[in-house]
Amino acid sequence: MLEIRNLTKIYDDGTVALRDVSFDIPDGEFLVIIGLSGSGKSTLLRCINRLIDPTEGQIIWNGIDIAKLEGQDLRNVRRKIGMVFQQFNLVKRSSVLMNVMAGRLGYAPTWRSITGRFDEADKQRAINAMKRMGITDQANKRADELSGGQQQRVGIARALMQEPEIILADEPVASLDPVLAHSILQHLESLNKDDGMTILCSLHYLDLVQRYSTSVIGLREGRVVYQGNKQQIMRMTDAEFKTIYGEEAERMGGITGEIAEQDITAAGEEIEL
Amino acid sequence: MKPKPNTSEEKPSLVPPFVALILSLILPGLGHILARKYRKGLTLLLAFLSAAGLWIWRVTVVARREVGFAAMFTKAIRLEPILILIFVLLVLMYILIALDAYKSAHISKPNSLLLWVTVLVAFFVLGWQIGEIQPAVLIRNGKNSLPLLMRVLWPWEKAVYYPEELLIGSADVVIPCAGVELETPKLEADAPYLTVDPTCGDLSEIGGKEGTRLKVTGGNFSPNTETEIWWVDQVRNEFRYRYGGDYVKVTTDDNGSFQLDVVIPYRVIPTQGEKGYVVWQLEARQVASIGKPVISEELKLSVEKMVETIFLGMMSTFFGVILSIPISFLASRNLMSANWFTKTIYMIIRTILNIVRSIESLVWAVIAIIAVGLGPFAGILALTIHSIAALGKLYSEAIESIDHGPVEAIQATGANWLQTVWYAVIPQIIPPFVSFTIYRWDINVRMSTVIGMVGGGGIGYLLIQWIRLLDYQSAGIAIWFIAITVAILDYVSSEIRERFI
Repeated sequence: MLEIRNLTKIYDDGTVALRDVSFDIPDGEFLVIIGLSGSGKSTLLRCINRLIDPTEGQIIWNGIDIAKLEGQDLRNVRRKIGMVFQQFNLVKRSSVLMNVMAGRLGYAPTWRSITGRFDEADKQRAINAMKRMGITDQANKRADELSGGQQQRVGIARALMQEPEIILADEPVASLDPVLAHSILQHLESLNKDDGMTILCSLHYLDLVQRYSTSVIGLREGRVVYQGNKQQIMRMTDAEFKTIYGEEAERMGGITGEIAEQDITAAGEEIEL
Repeated sequence: MKPKPNTSEEKPSLVPPFVALILSLILPGLGHILARKYRKGLTLLLAFLSAAGLWIWRVTVVARREVGFAAMFTKAIRLEPILILIFVLLVLMYILIALDAYKSAHISKPNSLLLWVTVLVAFFVLGWQIGEIQPAVLIRNGKNSLPLLMRVLWPWEKAVYYPEELLIGSADVVIPCAGVELETPKLEADAPYLTVDPTCGDLSEIGGKEGTRLKVTGGNFSPNTETEIWWVDQVRNEFRYRYGGDYVKVTTDDNGSFQLDVVIPYRVIPTQGEKGYVVWQLEARQVASIGKPVISEELKLSVEKMVETIFLGMMSTFFGVILSIPISFLASRNLMSANWFTKTIYMIIRTILNIVRSIESLVWAVIAIIAVGLGPFAGILALTIHSIAALGKLYSEAIESIDHGPVEAIQATGANWLQTVWYAVIPQIIPPFVSFTIYRWDINVRMSTVIGMVGGGGIGYLLIQWIRLLDYQSAGIAIWFIAITVAILDYVSSEIRERFI
């Protein structure tokens, strides 16, 4: 259970990114965060693993307040939380293997990791992670030689190396085409269903949200304006949509309330084929 | 709403056009300023005043001995007619500024092309006069530099030399014939020899009878070589033999022998000694090359100093890189923006780097020479100091421009600071660092060829010495070595850059 309590973030220039955000995420959820650009999605995700320090509030996970951690304690929590980025954030000039191995840095002793001597168990983990993501053939290529979809798989493999309990995915498919977007989200879904990892993922397209999420948070100007479970998100009304995306927003794609759930599953499978 | 950039231009003029014209005649540019064209007015004022000031300065320089401006003016335009052209341009500029002020006061954007062209032409002509540009001189006297240029461009005659030996064969001649038999000196079998027939005779008389004609035979000289004929009198005075006013030369045949008729010359000083005769020697002298060509001292020195130069550049780059890497981390904004303390360090280091960089390496060399004396170490110090400043700036800019994404990603895995730098920062900065380092190495080797001119070691020292001694051939050798080294370096550095980036 991850509990966010009264989380507020005010940047140095006075921008208020999060205002008093509170919600709970039970373990094993696939939580999707939706909202306009600048609504605070990225800030919220980055507060959870403290890439950004929140101004106020608590992030309680397994009884520990992540917001108060420092130094080694913080790094020990971080290594149980994987993160996947919109721009993949791979070290472009390093090989795929090195990028994947980098996911193990939180566990490896500093000196050994700097001289590049990872132990056998870590190497085996890297091979398994790459096999799972289908990038074993690319292991020795430079990261920037890969296509966008492959780079994001490397990003997920890197997160897998951490053997995480939570994965934070910051718009993981925003730079990818729809087919690749489904493929990447299916990988995340598999981690969620088969490995029981909690996924926190920000997404833009409502059809993807409806297809993959088990619960949804809607952010607008740093506030939580919508909360819903799988059933509720399927029946999202235009009014709810406009609360999240603003009055001028025009709804495109996705499925409105009346349509039954089985259709959605069918739509998803169609793409899988 | 953003304010429009030139709101002042849209407001009406403060003065009517005619007043603007009058004001501009009083002080060029004033009319524009009062017509709310502040920047244009100031520019024109500055342009006019500086052009007029420069013109007055040149007049006083050209006619500095005259008293009174009128006299100076007349003298100056007589000596340098171009000054009258500048004067005309100034007047034209003055009138055009006034007219433009008139137009500016009632139109918002008058066409001022002619005015700006006049300003540019005035400064161009001023530059021509101040720079004392005289293409005619270049065309007339340029060819004088050709022989010198040829020596610089093709100095290789000086690069090797052939060792030479002076071969002398001599024979005694008794003057006048006194029936004295002289002992023939014994010679080694291969030594050059000279025989005369007869072995005695009389001197020529001035304006009178010719002296005795001697048949001279030489042998064992080096073949096909020009040979000079010399006389050595009884008191060892040497003088070269002339006949009919010209020096006599003879060229040996394929066997190194020659035959020649020599007339005993006249001599003003008395020739008779106590014995009633004197003995002179007739000599055949030859400068002959022996053995293989030898590399000249100049070439050797140039090679030695070139090697020194390359290492001077290398060592200073090495020290520069080692020292500038830590400094560059302290001088990059993104790593140093944590709090006011680190920000202060960043500011201080940036300022020092900028100051050090703006002082030329040659100046640093002079300072280094005072500290450690003449020689390559001073050059290394000077180039190192300049390299640290230049590389520190370039490196820190490379660090500032890294992609923050990977840094974030590595931090998110739970990596500590050192691991983050190693895995996310270093891989990103290696290509720019390598490229800047090679670039600096290139600069340092080229600079080290110059730094010797102030005594900082390397080939520049030789170069400046030879130029001062007017030894253009040796200077040419040094210049060739510099050119070859720089060309090789250019090629090597572009190759390395391609590999790494």
